[in-house]
Amino acid sequence: MPGVDGERNPFQPNLVRIASAHDETPDVQTLQLEFLDPEVARQFRWEPGQFAEYSVFGVGESVLTLANSPTRAQHVECTLRAVGKVTRAIGALSVGQVLGFRGPYGNWFPVEQWRERNLVFVGGGIGMAALRAPLQFVLDKRADYGEILVLNGARSIADLVYKDEMNEWQAVDGVRVVRTVDPGGEAEGWDGEVGLIPNVFERLGLAPDGRVVIVCGPPVMMHYMYLALEKTGFGPDQVVTTLESKMKCGLGLCGRCNIGRSFVCREGPVYTWAQVRALPEDS
Amino acid sequence: MTGWRLSGAELTRWLEDLLRGGTRVIAPVDEDGRRVFKAVDDPARVCLASGKTRWSPKEFVFPKTEALFSYAVQADGVTLRAASVDAAEQVLFGVRPCDAAGLARLDATFLGGEIDPLYARRRDLTTVVSLGCAEAEPECFCTAVGGSPGGEEGSDLQLLPAGEGWLVRPLTPKGERLAASLSTWAAKASDEEWEQARASVRRVEESIRHSAVAREWASILEASFDSPVWEALGRRCLGCSICTYVCPSCSCFDVNDNGTASCGERCRSWDSCTFALFTRQASGHNPRPTQASRYRQRVLHKFAYYPQRYEGRFMCVGCGRCVAMCPVGMDIQEAVRMAVEAPRGSGDAGR
Repeated sequence: MPGVDGERNPFQPNLVRIASAHDETPDVQTLQLEFLDPEVARQFRWEPGQFAEYSVFGVGESVLTLANSPTRAQHVECTLRAVGKVTRAIGALSVGQVLGFRGPYGNWFPVEQWRERNLVFVGGGIGMAALRAPLQFVLDKRADYGEILVLNGARSIADLVYKDEMNEWQAVDGVRVVRTVDPGGEAEGWDGEVGLIPNVFERLGLAPDGRVVIVCGPPVMMHYMYLALEKTGFGPDQVVTTLESKMKCGLGLCGRCNIGRSFVCREGPVYTWAQVRALPEDS
Repeated sequence: MTGWRLSGAELTRWLEDLLRGGTRVIAPVDEDGRRVFKAVDDPARVCLASGKTRWSPKEFVFPKTEALFSYAVQADGVTLRAASVDAAEQVLFGVRPCDAAGLARLDATFLGGEIDPLYARRRDLTTVVSLGCAEAEPECFCTAVGGSPGGEEGSDLQLLPAGEGWLVRPLTPKGERLAASLSTWAAKASDEEWEQARASVRRVEESIRHSAVAREWASILEASFDSPVWEALGRRCLGCSICTYVCPSCSCFDVNDNGTASCGERCRSWDSCTFALFTRQASGHNPRPTQASRYRQRVLHKFAYYPQRYEGRFMCVGCGRCVAMCPVGMDIQEAVRMAVEAPRGSGDAGR
C-alpha cells in the first residue's frame, strides 16, 4: 500500500520527555523538555519568538511559544496555563512522561535589529511567556544592547510568573524590572506597583527616542497598551508584538489563524505595531 | 487537434477496459435520487447526463477525515507510525469543469507552499477526466469567476458532449496515459467536430447570465471590512457551514485525536470558518465573535485574500452548490456585489 513513509510528514511530532516542571502560579507551569532522540536534539534549532505544537496523545495538540532562548539550549522550555483541554492534560503530566512536539514554526523577534537600542519588554499575564525567549537572548548578549526595562504585570501577586528569574534579571547591570498587579491584586508587603499595565507604562514616562517596545498580553491589555503607546509618543515601527492565535497545523494550511491576507503561523507570529495596524481587526 | 470521437457504447468499452486493467474509477452515479461520486465497477452505472453531483469530488483527494499518523502509548514508550495513504491509482471520471478547477485551487493551497505529503500522494495517484456541460443549472456561475462549461483547468483529459456521443482529448501526460488504448481502436475526431463542440460550449456559456466578478475587486473587498453590509448579511447566516462542506475549493481542517490515551490516531477533518469554535481560543477570546465576522471571513478569503496570494484567481469556481444548498438562500456572488457597491462605512461587524 502506498504510504507517506519515508517522506517527511510534517504532522508527525517528535517525542519529548518532561525533564522538570516548575510551578509559576497555581495554574501556570514551566516545563523543561528533552528530545528522546539525541539526533533530533542535536539538530534542533530555533529563534527567539518561534512557537511549536505540543501534544498529549489521545487529547490533542496546542500551540505554545518556545519560552527559552536558543542561547540556553540544554532544554526546550514552555510555559503554559492549564486553561484548555490540551494544556490541562499537559499540566496533569508528571516528570518523565512523554509529549509530542513539532516545530519550530513562524518568524521571530528581530533581535539583530535591536543592537545598541534600549529595550522595553511589556508582558501581561501569561503573555510574559512569549517575551522570555527574546529577553533571555538579549540578557545573554548583554553587551550588544542598551538599557533593558521589564514591565510585567498580572491580576494578582499569585498570578505573576517567573518570580525567581525576575529577581535574577533585576540584579543584572542596566536592567530594571517593574512589576505590577491589578488594583485589588496586591497584598500586605507588596513592594511593586499597583495598576493596570498601560497605566503603569504611562507613569514610567519613558522617552520614545531610540527605544524598542516588545509587548505581549491579553487582547484587552493590548488595546489599551496601544493607546498608551500612542499617547506617550511611541511610533508604530518601534513597537513589536506577537499574535498567538489559535492554530491547528502551524504550516499555513488549516486556515484558522489568518488575519486578512496574513497567516499568523507563516508571516507571524511576530509583527510590528505598524504591521498590526495594517491588518483588519480580526485578531 | 488530436483526440477521438466516442459513441456511448464506445465510452462504455473504454471504461470497461480501464476497470479490467485494475484502475479504480470514481464517477457520478444516481443513487437514491441524488447524484454522487462513487467508485464504480459497472460502467452502466456511470451517469454523464446534465447536472452536477451533490458533493464535489474533493473528498477523493482530501478525505473528510484522514489519519495523519497513529500512536501507541505503552509502559516502555510511545510508538508513532506514519499514516499510509489508502489510495490506489484512481481516475476521477466525469468531473464538471468547475470541480476540476476546484482541484487546481486545492493544489495551490496544499502544494503551493508547504507541501502536504498526504494530499500530494493522493493527487499523484489521481487522473482527472473532466466532462463539459451540455447545459447549465440555475445556480451555475463559473463564467463569472473565470471558468467555463468547457474549462480545462485541473483536467488531465477532457470529454466534451458531441451529439449522442463524446469527444475526448488528453491535456496532460497523465491524460495521455489514460487515453493510450483509445489510439488503437477509437475514431479520430475532426477539427470540424471540435469546432462544433466548442460552439455548443459557447452556447452554454451564454446561457449563464451572471455578470463577471472582477479581479480588481479584491482590494475593494478588502477595504469593505468595516462596512455595515457584513452585519446585514451576517444576520441571515445560520452558521450551519453547509456552504464550506459542499465547496470544491474550501480546504480548512481541524486536527484532532481519535482514540484513547493508549492508542489511536491523530486525524484531520474538514472544518469550517463559519463555526464559532473555529477561532475561539482557550481563554474564551474569539477573534471572530459574530456570525457576521465569520461570514465576512469566508467571502473575503475567497475573493480578496486568496486572489492576492495566488495570481488573482478566486477561491471560488462558480459551481453554485453553496447557493443552491444554503438553507436561508444566501448567495455568495450577491454578497460580493453588495460589499463592492456598499459605501465604506464604519460599521462594526467584527466586535
